Amino acid sequence: MTDVVQNLIDGLGAGSTYALLAVGVSMLFGVMHLVNFAHGELLTVGAYVIYGMRSNGISWLAVIPVAIASAVVLSMLIELVAFRRVRSASAFTLLLTSFAIEILSHAAWRIGVSSTPRRYEAPQIAFKVVEVGPFNIEVWDVISIAVAVACFAGTAIMLRTTMFGLAVRAASEDFDAARLMGVKANRVISGAFAFAGLLAGIAGALWLVRRGQADPRMGAEPLLKAVIAAIIGGLGSLPGAVVGGLSLGVAEVFFRSWLPSDLQGLTDSAVFVVIAVLFVVRPQGLFDVETAERV
Amino acid sequence: MTGTTASAATAPSRPTAPASMRRLALASLVANLVLLLVVFAGGRLYASFGSSARDLLVVDLLVNLVLVLGFQVFIGNTGVLSFGHLGIASVGAYTMALLAVPADRKAVLIPNAPWGIPEIELHPFVASLIAIGVGVLVALLLGLVAARTSGLAATMITLAFLAIVRQVAENRKDLTGGAQNLSSIPRLDGWSWALVGAAIAVTVAVLFRSSRTGRLAVATREDELAAGAMGIEVFSPRLIAFVVGGAVVTLGGVLRVQSLGSIGPSQFSFEFTILILAMLVVGGMRTVTGAIVGTVFITVGKEVTRFLGDGPDFLGFRWPVIDGLPDLFLAGSLLVVLLTRPAGLLGEFDLGAWLRRRVRGSTSPSGDSSAVTEDEVAPVPASTTGALRTDGLGVTFGGFIAVDEVTMRVEPGTIHGLIGPNGAGKTTFVNLLTGLVTPTEGTVHLGELELNGAPYRRARAGISRTFQNLRVFPALSVRENVAVVDLVAHAHRSHREGVGVDRLLVLAGLAELAERPASTLDYGNQRRLEIARAAALRPDYLLLDEPTSGMSSAESLEMVGHVRRVATAIGAGVLVIDHDLGFITNICDRITVLDQGAVLAEGTPDEIQRDPRVIEAYLGSGHG
Amino acid sequence: MMLEVDALTTRYGALTALHDASLRVDAGEVVALVGPNGAGKTTLLASVVGLLQPSSGTIRFAGTTITGNDPAANLAAGLALVPERRRIFKDLTVAENLRLAGNTVAKSLRKPRMEQMAELFPVLREKWDVSAGYLSGGQAQQLAVARALMSEPKLLLLDEPCLGLSPTMVDVIFELIDTLRAQGRTILVVEQQAQRVLTIADRGYVLRTGEIVAEGAGPDLAGRPDLFEAYVGGSS
Repeated sequence: MTDVVQNLIDGLGAGSTYALLAVGVSMLFGVMHLVNFAHGELLTVGAYVIYGMRSNGISWLAVIPVAIASAVVLSMLIELVAFRRVRSASAFTLLLTSFAIEILSHAAWRIGVSSTPRRYEAPQIAFKVVEVGPFNIEVWDVISIAVAVACFAGTAIMLRTTMFGLAVRAASEDFDAARLMGVKANRVISGAFAFAGLLAGIAGALWLVRRGQADPRMGAEPLLKAVIAAIIGGLGSLPGAVVGGLSLGVAEVFFRSWLPSDLQGLTDSAVFVVIAVLFVVRPQGLFDVETAERV
Repeated sequence: MTGTTASAATAPSRPTAPASMRRLALASLVANLVLLLVVFAGGRLYASFGSSARDLLVVDLLVNLVLVLGFQVFIGNTGVLSFGHLGIASVGAYTMALLAVPADRKAVLIPNAPWGIPEIELHPFVASLIAIGVGVLVALLLGLVAARTSGLAATMITLAFLAIVRQVAENRKDLTGGAQNLSSIPRLDGWSWALVGAAIAVTVAVLFRSSRTGRLAVATREDELAAGAMGIEVFSPRLIAFVVGGAVVTLGGVLRVQSLGSIGPSQFSFEFTILILAMLVVGGMRTVTGAIVGTVFITVGKEVTRFLGDGPDFLGFRWPVIDGLPDLFLAGSLLVVLLTRPAGLLGEFDLGAWLRRRVRGSTSPSGDSSAVTEDEVAPVPASTTGALRTDGLGVTFGGFIAVDEVTMRVEPGTIHGLIGPNGAGKTTFVNLLTGLVTPTEGTVHLGELELNGAPYRRARAGISRTFQNLRVFPALSVRENVAVVDLVAHAHRSHREGVGVDRLLVLAGLAELAERPASTLDYGNQRRLEIARAAALRPDYLLLDEPTSGMSSAESLEMVGHVRRVATAIGAGVLVIDHDLGFITNICDRITVLDQGAVLAEGTPDEIQRDPRVIEAYLGSGHG
Repeated sequence: MMLEVDALTTRYGALTALHDASLRVDAGEVVALVGPNGAGKTTLLASVVGLLQPSSGTIRFAGTTITGNDPAANLAAGLALVPERRRIFKDLTVAENLRLAGNTVAKSLRKPRMEQMAELFPVLREKWDVSAGYLSGGQAQQLAVARALMSEPKLLLLDEPCLGLSPTMVDVIFELIDTLRAQGRTILVVEQQAQRVLTIADRGYVLRTGEIVAEGAGPDLAGRPDLFEAYVGGSS
């Protein structure tokens, strides 16, 4: 029983990062039917910003906001330079475009910095463990979960109360009707990229403080997890993305604890197989998203 | 695929279209093989001026081309993105390695491998053949899972598969040696084997495209919905394309490890998949020529950028060392092509088809169809299937009754009209008949047969349709739009006599335009092409959904004559849905009027025109 | 003159949906645009507000040329469209639909305008915080009109407001048009129920296969034989 609770805490810690990324992925899918594989590059830019500023001895308190801001700026820049031109293209072209941006980013970091990882020292709080009864609780996990929950709540409030939130929800349902209400297409899409970038920046900060290094390809894996989480939840559904991300994190931890030690490396594979079975049974994901496609 | 020859034996009267298709395939095959030779010769020339590294470059190009063509077979013909094919290649390549690495080496590398593998030592060629068989099997299993889901999820499953293969290879160290590469694979020397491999891949890709399955797959790529309405089922052509593509990439994988002499978990990685996909997308995924050009373009570009990135003394000064320049070129060219020419540098261009058009253009401008004139079109015997009827057919969407217990009957050989104001439920009724919408009550019968299930089943049972918003197969030629449906008719409607592709084109007035892509036709011609395509299925009933929508009065009048001629020629009954009362009364033997989802009136055109209820429903009453 | 459409042509791929259509709407008028299904009525309205790009012709609104402007700019200029099939946002509540529709007006005006809409459409007040997906067809149509009115447009374009509504709801919509006219609003309405809408319109146009084939004072047009002919087709 204690194992189960311990796993749950660990899993939610990892899952909250996936969920923060997945909400952004899902939001972008909602407004422009794009699965953005370049979204993971927002983590990479944050990591290099942290490395650059920390190696100049700047305080973490100043570093983190700048890292988050860099993710927001890069997200908007990617939309402006690339996705704006292919906005009405097929899902196929959109998907490949996002991959092209991803590898372009990898190449740019290799050329601009180096392909060898750049290390920085993690602050002490990142690895602090507190014993609460039978549980070993990592402080950073608690902070991660708390920040993520605050972000989800903030997102929910933003979507309900702000004009931008209403525009995003309306545009996800019927983009042309939203334009008829005076919603500017460029503004709502650019705003969605900015917001998704903000969540990615925060997710990145939570992850990177502990990670301690920056390397060109680092964004690919967490993003893949986030995309899978968004698909589990049903692309376009933001609550679905949260549930998908958290359950993916928890599932990973449980699989890791169940698999015999010589098969530990197959954790991801086991999770993928379970998800593939889920798709075959429920191709639309856990949460149904109504699409406006008509014959 | 083997069904083609089997049905050819049982059906002696093959239409003329496949013959021209076969010639086109032959032209494409010869042209693309010649292109391959030219590329190869260029590569050898370049290699002859340099070190042995350049020999390897040529071999690498040819092996990559095999992989690119494997992706082309699936992605190019189905329009579905797969990331998983290199996973299949990886499984095949490991199989080859495990069977062919000498037993004394295996005793050192993987002494604990299961299934008696350490003792096996097969000839590399035999091992390769077995490996391709394993690749086919894996592709079949993966394809069955992926095809069960829809587009994006299918793509993600293939991506997950690639990751799984890598993880298993990394973790089953007893079998694969793990991250330490499995070496001592018997190596292939020289370059001739790579040329043979590439030639095989080109041949398979060209033949698949022109095969029955390939053509059906392309139709589903062009318009899945319209393909279904023409009796084309989506699942099996896609699955077969997936498996054939899997066989070709496995060939590529097997050749690759034999050129390197070793294999490791990271060899068929996601990054490598992106490289292969970039080659395909940059050149143009829809044709073999595009795949060849893309492979050459990226290979040459990477070679040049690698040279520049190594910091050479060049053009009189020393260039800086730039690590990652080839990757930058790869990503940059992929991005630029996607943003400016999403169909790739070559788009629909195929060298063989182009040369054939050039040659034929100067000799016989109008092609095969010039032999057929409209006078020769003798009607085929009329359908004897019986009436198309609905009994209490209805559907409710969340409390809203869209179609309300409609009972109607279309007699064989007649032209029956269905009219009603906007929102009367006409389109929903057509969707109920054709299976796009599932009824909440009532039945549809064609003669004695109850129609149910997916649209393609109903089409094969004998009702084919046109669409209100044109849905031709845009990138296919006018002839192929009709000919691909003729294929379906041969397989599933052979009890009815066909009119033939050429005669249908003459009837539609499209014979002169037969080789043009359908998307380049004007509106009226696209409408007539849709009717010709639907007629090619040899239906018992033709369903025409608003055939005069967007046409002027004169064009509508012309359409009246056209629909009559086609219906007589193919011996089918017609149910025509239209809002144009003039068109309907001109053309129809009987008319049913729908209003608010229910039948308002039924009768001859005269009766309908005089019916005050119809006039009221159409123009709205003056009350209030 | 409020709206002046001159020789407008709009294409969808191979189809010319609208061919050299010209019409005008003066301030304070209710103008009806009628014609059979597929005649190009919806295309004309969508081209006017900028959802579709016309291939030739000009559109002038309140003296300025607005051809090719996007819907947001046209809305700001005072052109609001109530689209065919309503297209309300089903995931948003009634209040949220209205608030979003007020996104172009000053913040201080939003609340009073929403209050006005609740006065004008009492049904909406009852469903204020209900997801719009739960509204009936008639309620949804009223919400769609209210949404367009939130920006206080100079010209209201209504595309098939009675589509799919029960006869009683159709009466309600026609009463609404009367009410809006009494408030001095200018309206261009596309409607399937041609005779009925023409009897209440100041002027009318008949569109057939993308071309204007008749125009005149509304009630006159309602009784003219060429209207009937436009529907049953001149080819017989």
